[in-house]
Amino acid sequence: MKWKKWPFFLVGALLALGVVGSVLVLQRPDTNLVEVVRDGEVLYQFDLARAEDQVVEVEYEGRINTIEIRDHQIHMREADCPDQTCVHMGWLDSAAPIVCLPNHLVIRFVQDDGELDGVAG
Amino acid sequence: MEIVKRRLAALLLAATLTGCSAPPEGAEPQPMQPAERSLFAMNTYMTFTAYGNGASAALERAAAQIGEVEALWSVTREDSEIYRANHSGGQAITVSEETAALVAFALEMARKTDGALDPTIYPVLAAWGFTTDSKQVPSQGQIDSLLAQVDYRRIELDGTGLTVPAGMQLDLGAVGKGYTADLVTQTLREAGVESAILSLGGNIQAIGSRPDGTDWRIGIRAPWEEGNLGVLEISNAAVVTSGGYENYFEDEAGTRYWHILDPATGAPADSGLQSVTIIGEEGRLCDALSTALFVMGAEKAEAYWRENGGFDMLLVTDEGEVILTEGIATRFSLRDGRTETVRVLAA
Repeated sequence: MKWKKWPFFLVGALLALGVVGSVLVLQRPDTNLVEVVRDGEVLYQFDLARAEDQVVEVEYEGRINTIEIRDHQIHMREADCPDQTCVHMGWLDSAAPIVCLPNHLVIRFVQDDGELDGVAG
Repeated sequence: MEIVKRRLAALLLAATLTGCSAPPEGAEPQPMQPAERSLFAMNTYMTFTAYGNGASAALERAAAQIGEVEALWSVTREDSEIYRANHSGGQAITVSEETAALVAFALEMARKTDGALDPTIYPVLAAWGFTTDSKQVPSQGQIDSLLAQVDYRRIELDGTGLTVPAGMQLDLGAVGKGYTADLVTQTLREAGVESAILSLGGNIQAIGSRPDGTDWRIGIRAPWEEGNLGVLEISNAAVVTSGGYENYFEDEAGTRYWHILDPATGAPADSGLQSVTIIGEEGRLCDALSTALFVMGAEKAEAYWRENGGFDMLLVTDEGEVILTEGIATRFSLRDGRTETVRVLAA
């Protein structure tokens, strides 16, 4: 009888593969990957879901930006720049990146949160 | 024979299930990998995402184009056309067609908004330190004497001949980014790009819809807070927001001063609005109106919309009210947990 049953296993296996494949394709990864970019160059990548609390300093033409990760969130804690816009932006929480213009520094999610294509403001 | 058929059917079913992500027959091949480009220009951070064949090359062309117009319009670069006009001692200078078109547009918007947008406000903005490194509250005497040099009606544009009277300064900052977004949009369209989303420092411009045909989802920033007020769903449109929170400083008493000045007073515009978002076909119009209507306040903004039309708007008032025009009423949704009341203006 064995020779008659193997096609059913094959069909079952294909079905299971199909279901698993579809789920993998359709489900967007829940990304928490952020990157710190200076002048287009990726300096750091962090997975906020796993990253430990830490402080990172980035230098640009002698000026220092202090980036802090705390409780799985990231923000610009201090910036050696006159306008402090990036510090005012608070914790990174959407597709809108934290940008320090004078020091050419950007903190952004590697992939947007899947919800938004852009942020006006 | 019957069993064989059934097995065959089951196999076919399994095959179709595993093939769920394959494009339907006859569908256009849709490259899912977008081309991306980001750059620092015009004092902002710009990011462009475009889909389709040739998108990558088109974005490179757009980036080069931005470099070119920035070199023409920068108010601080000594070799720019605007700088030359501002330092000509009141003599007419000949500018490029592009610059003439932008100046003409800025002056037209200044007229239409009755000076709520004034592209000659720059000396006052500089006195407040918003253009430099040291923000400060200037004295009333200083503001008054500088305001004497603010009046868009004294700028002369005759074809490509531009005259900025001595002592005055023309600055296209309030319309330049929107105008640039329109130029980039045109460049990408001509290159065959049918789906792209452009962000020029918070000025959003959408070409077509998302590659899957649905609307782009654009967050609208909540003034003075982290996060978004809500989401706007749009295709083929520009979305530009102006708000005091974008660039400001506080004095020792905790009073906030922001960068959008009322040309009538020379002080930060305090019209009862926290932010103004304009949605329309052209970035330049949205850019100009987001600033002008922020200066005008809700009542005059509504009157302007009723009289001129051609755009939609989303106003956030000091009292936490969101005022929408009817064209975007069904396209905007307040984020869960927001407490603002929403009022819709019907034409």
